[in-house]
Amino acid sequence: MNANIGILEANYYLPQTKKTLSQVFEDEEKPTEAFAAGVDFEKDIGIEALHVAKNERAADLCINAAKLTMAKSGIDPQEIDLIIDFTSIPEDYVAPTWSAAGQVQQAIGATRAFTTAVNTGGCASYQTTLKVACSLMSANDRYNTALLVAGDKTPEFNHNYFPITVVSDGGSAVILKKNMTTRRILGVEVATLGKLHDMWVIPGIHNRKPEDIGGKYPRWLHVCGDIQRFNKELIPINLFMFRKVMLGVLKQVGKKMEDVSFFVYPTFSAWDLKAFCEAFRVPPEKLSRDNLHHGHLQETDMVVGYVDALAAGRIKDGDLVMLATNGAGFSWGASLVQH
Amino acid sequence: MAACCHLPQHKRSVEDLFQEEGANFSADVAARLGIEQVPIQNGDASETASNMAVAAGREALQRAKIDPMQVDVVVEYSIMPQEYLVPVWNMSNKVQAETGASKSFVVGFSGGGSSNFMVALSSAAAMLSENDSMKTALLVTGDTTIPGNRVLNPSDPVTVMGDGASAVVLQRDAPAGIVIDTELWSDGDNHDICYVPGGSLIHPDDISLYRMQLDKVRYDAFPKAETLRRMSNKLLERAGVKFSDVAWVLCSNVSAQDEAAIQQAFEGKVSPVCASNRESHGHLQGTDFPLNYLSLIESGSTKQGDYVLGISHGMGATAAVSLLRC
Repeated sequence: MNANIGILEANYYLPQTKKTLSQVFEDEEKPTEAFAAGVDFEKDIGIEALHVAKNERAADLCINAAKLTMAKSGIDPQEIDLIIDFTSIPEDYVAPTWSAAGQVQQAIGATRAFTTAVNTGGCASYQTTLKVACSLMSANDRYNTALLVAGDKTPEFNHNYFPITVVSDGGSAVILKKNMTTRRILGVEVATLGKLHDMWVIPGIHNRKPEDIGGKYPRWLHVCGDIQRFNKELIPINLFMFRKVMLGVLKQVGKKMEDVSFFVYPTFSAWDLKAFCEAFRVPPEKLSRDNLHHGHLQETDMVVGYVDALAAGRIKDGDLVMLATNGAGFSWGASLVQH
Repeated sequence: MAACCHLPQHKRSVEDLFQEEGANFSADVAARLGIEQVPIQNGDASETASNMAVAAGREALQRAKIDPMQVDVVVEYSIMPQEYLVPVWNMSNKVQAETGASKSFVVGFSGGGSSNFMVALSSAAAMLSENDSMKTALLVTGDTTIPGNRVLNPSDPVTVMGDGASAVVLQRDAPAGIVIDTELWSDGDNHDICYVPGGSLIHPDDISLYRMQLDKVRYDAFPKAETLRRMSNKLLERAGVKFSDVAWVLCSNVSAQDEAAIQQAFEGKVSPVCASNRESHGHLQGTDFPLNYLSLIESGSTKQGDYVLGISHGMGATAAVSLLRC
């Protein structure tokens, strides 16, 4: 793969309205299943409040993030050759028939761009999309600049993703460009365990139960997790899969774990961050964790963690940055960015 | 490139479907559509979209004589809503598990209409050519139409949609069936020209809106055939191939009216297999291209080295043209 494709710019947009976690737990349905991790889900999660989009649509979150990122980069929308939406939860209209990519194209005036959406990987859609975008750019002389966008808005009463996390609404965007000398994407590795495909789903209106019609919650648009399978089939192999993709991408580019200067990892929960640090012997100062106060932002966590670490000076010139995440499906992804 | 289609055995006549969906069927409509019947799932579990996709994937791998463990990526190109809501769920994960392609990762694409197939083709070809560790891709789809929504735009019908699945195996350095290049184009102003509004964030409760809708005014206004010809010229120029060297053009099986305009723009090179498949199957979304490609190869009307253009206007939102060499 062309090793000169890099991150020209990245940014995110979070709605101003915040909702305290105690209010979220009060408003939403209480989980009835037990969680195997031996923690108190509500007290130990480490997230205090969530960003909530009120009147803004999911596509607005995408568009706002795209506009912020475009403005920060200073590039002309006409330079954009590809727009790829990597949103990982249902959008304004039903997928895969529709995606927000075309609406973003319209809103920013990137009329030369080809648009599509990657609809797999859950929160690891960031890595899957990087893999696709970098491959397309590398293989085609005509694709020099790509805009990756995401915008997640959960239904009003579905911010509690027990037993994994609590989720905020927000959007993010990343501009990839060829011929970069810094922030180069050295490699991307993605692994999938498809047998877990039906462990974490949103039923859809065609599967709604008669008793839910007219109720407080559109339950058919809420995530449904099989907690028993989550405990038995996912938790035991999760860190193994992280190790697999991280070592995989390091091997791709001839680097070692000790070469990595900084890790960007999702902000699912305080205990999950701790488990990651312990498993891979990552000192806390080398991990993105400041963004825990935003709540979990699905695939946008990768962008928030990266942008916040840059802004805080925690990523420096010459640093090798590992971005790693997992997501529904289930997929695990890791990418390496050379600063 | 090896391909396979998995279609339900059961078929319904278009006239019956019009009656069932309360649309007016006339001689004029019949002539414009050029569709006589469409395959329809019979309600068995084996004919859910994802199960048909699994069957197509298995068969395609067998035909290509590829061990599932050799598959590096499963690429999904469906268009219709799936068993659960995409993108949290995507049938590619199930296909990966149930075909035994357990070393692969999965990727699916949204928003391109029938052009999703070409988006998948282009992306898979790019991944195989640019990543040393990747040699084999399994492209797969399964589309079942929303019940009561087979006639698209019943007040002025545009097509009749059937159910089906398909799969294509791509391998780096394959001796024949070569994917040369793909040209892709989008018009963001048409992002909502064809979409399913109900059961989404904007219309969470309204089951009456849970159907594929088409903005016919914008659809008619979009210069479909001209756009595809312009894109084809650009693609051919890039590939150093003359239009006169193209043996056949394969289009989506939308309607006779649609094909007639494309036939004119492409100087009569649209293969007769498109009309034949359209009459007997209707519009099968992303499966149209693999179905037509297989029919073309089986018809014996191509020889090794022939160039074939696969084209799709994606209802006006995303248009795509792929150049293949047999």
